[in-house]
Amino acid sequence: MKKALVAAVLLGSSVSASAVAPGGPGCGWGNLVFEGKSGLPVHLLATIVNGTSYNKTFGMTTGTNGCDTSGALTYGGQSLLAMNGVLEEVAMDMAAGEGEALTALSVSMGVSAEDRDHFNSVMHDNFAAIFSSEEVTAGDVMQSITAVMQSDEKLAKYI
Amino acid sequence: MVLRLTLALLLCLSVTPLFAAVSASEDKELSSLAEDPLWLALLHFNRGATIHSRGETYVDDDNFFLAEAGTSDPLAELQASVRAMEPDRSPVRCRFPARYQFIAERLGWPVESGLDHCGDLQEWLDQIPDKRVVLVFPASYLNSPSSMFGHTLIRLDDAENPDSVWHSWAVNFGAAVGPEDNSILYVYRGLAGGYPGRFVIVPYVTKIQEYSHLENRDIWEYTLDLSPAQIRRIILHLWELRDINFDYYFFDENCSFRLLELIDVVEPGMTLVDGFRLAEPPVNTVRALYKRGLVRERVYRPSKAAQLDAERKAMNAEQQDMVRRLIRDPGISASEDFAGYSEAERHRMALLAYQVLRFRHRNKDRDPEVAARSLALLKVVNANTGQGAAEVPAPVPPEAGHGTQMLSFGGGQLESDDFGEIGYRFTYHDLIDNDTGFLQGAQIEGIDLRLRSTESDDLKLEAADIVHIRSLSPRNRLIKPISWFVHGGLERALAGDRKRLVRFVQGGPGLTWQAGNVMPYGFITARLENNSDYSAFLEPGGGAQAGLLWYLPWAQVNAGGEGYYFANDEYRHRQFFRINVPTGRQSALRAEWQRDAWRGDNEQGFSLAWRQFFN
Repeated sequence: MKKALVAAVLLGSSVSASAVAPGGPGCGWGNLVFEGKSGLPVHLLATIVNGTSYNKTFGMTTGTNGCDTSGALTYGGQSLLAMNGVLEEVAMDMAAGEGEALTALSVSMGVSAEDRDHFNSVMHDNFAAIFSSEEVTAGDVMQSITAVMQSDEKLAKYI
Repeated sequence: MVLRLTLALLLCLSVTPLFAAVSASEDKELSSLAEDPLWLALLHFNRGATIHSRGETYVDDDNFFLAEAGTSDPLAELQASVRAMEPDRSPVRCRFPARYQFIAERLGWPVESGLDHCGDLQEWLDQIPDKRVVLVFPASYLNSPSSMFGHTLIRLDDAENPDSVWHSWAVNFGAAVGPEDNSILYVYRGLAGGYPGRFVIVPYVTKIQEYSHLENRDIWEYTLDLSPAQIRRIILHLWELRDINFDYYFFDENCSFRLLELIDVVEPGMTLVDGFRLAEPPVNTVRALYKRGLVRERVYRPSKAAQLDAERKAMNAEQQDMVRRLIRDPGISASEDFAGYSEAERHRMALLAYQVLRFRHRNKDRDPEVAARSLALLKVVNANTGQGAAEVPAPVPPEAGHGTQMLSFGGGQLESDDFGEIGYRFTYHDLIDNDTGFLQGAQIEGIDLRLRSTESDDLKLEAADIVHIRSLSPRNRLIKPISWFVHGGLERALAGDRKRLVRFVQGGPGLTWQAGNVMPYGFITARLENNSDYSAFLEPGGGAQAGLLWYLPWAQVNAGGEGYYFANDEYRHRQFFRINVPTGRQSALRAEWQRDAWRGDNEQGFSLAWRQFFN
């Protein structure tokens, strides 16, 4: 139960929802693959007070920063892939066929421990299809992953 | 005395009617309960650890108290809580479940079942990971001085050995900052206590991204040895703290202090927050937990930069060159040169090229051309199967490093004049202090005072650094960071016919390289000086510094020179040799030789000092 919930939380409650716009429009989280970040100086200053923007306070229950907050507990609506910097980590792990980001992804998909190696190798083999261009978004990637899993005998049950 | 007694009596008399509802025997019992360390911890009372609001709560939020006097009177708050929580299915129990648990355990009320009616709380408890509590310490990183102090947060895991800690929850205490503030105001208010502090829960993966990937900070994770009941108490208390404002002061009531307070609620009388604590550096949080025997396991999570460095070092020079060419043009992967390597080598080189490219561009706006190269490199990685990242050896953990404050005692000779010197440094580490547990090439000094007494003169202030920060990040084939320093304070400098105490600020960018354990560096500098001998209020100058750092197993050495030239045609330059020999974790012997020259004259001297660290 908890696992499923975590998966729902981190990936958005449904694939179609995250395909529209992971995290919701105007959410402030980049979600294009190989994104860049700006505003570093301000960020450095932020380290001083370990600041957190207050609309994220206990974002799991309030979530007033423009993110999608459907679902009881949404971390302010961010999906794993839509989080800053995560997509390029997932891309790297998928290309290599292993890694912490890929494990996190499989855990959030609810893939059990014994199927994880298989998940990794399927993702590795389908890397070119999933990351078909450098312009793909988190939503595109999520849709492709779902499609790949659906057409795999062992992984279809997790969709 | 009599007056004070009368006053106290009068106060008691005037307060008593408020408590009329509570019976006499219960009143007595509650009086002793109100002094229970756990009750005080749950209300976040200051029991003397910091200067602000002693004998009062740190919580700066009316929503946290049921009694009007609750912010300064733990008994009044206890009485009000008992009264409000006594009725069956009281909604107040759901708002303050840890308080309820405390009261129920002491007064013999039903403990667990007493919270059954709290739907929102139960739903939250069902979701929050509660199998393991881990203290997370992102260590310092070179290019942000403020991070030198580090930061601490808590992680909650949903299993003893979670499959993926990316899914764990991070509990972070920080200043709650409004989007409307500009950065200057932000820093000022952060330091001066203008922001409320709050506990916030975020996915741990965001913290990994922030610290390890974005800021180059190694992360140390300390698993705490807590029982399920203790973890539950922390979680119940966390619920109480939702959207509650605390005071936030960078120097004392900071993230680390607050986390210790949070952990303080696990056992009555455990008092991690004991004694006086000013400017609690996060590493002391770790030490306090070790001292209590609360740390069960330590895990090192290398930063992206550390990982890249380990992978680069595992390659020979030709391979590193090939990586560099790949970054510039992934099309090289079709060349015969590239095909000449084994498949595993091709995999590793393309993987490193991708990571370096991402590393270089991660703080910049998205560039479509870079994005295209990134994907091209990943395709090469994908086409050549091989082994993944090289294992990064864990460095010495930060808690093994020297203390934050330092006293020094020494003496020496300047020309033919003997002198004695005492020094005090508030914080923290300079380039040649014992580097065990610290980053090499990083320095952050705040408030460093030296008093000197000579044969011919009384004790006088020799130098007072307000701040002196240096970041020497070595450049290599693949990563080319810029070093920098900033230095401001008071020092004795020669001007006209004698030495004067001058006020100055200087700084500048530089380059650093590394060959084995030697780090050569160079800086260009700009300086502003307020000198009573100069006609201008602020005399501008420019110059350069160069030298090398040498990290020996038994000593740290810094040798070099620096000079600057002022707009009024004055100049000064200096050559120095310094060696620091640690004699233990908390002490070192330091010897210095220095030659200063200025228009028309020069002087040289040496000194020897004992440096004792504490806290």
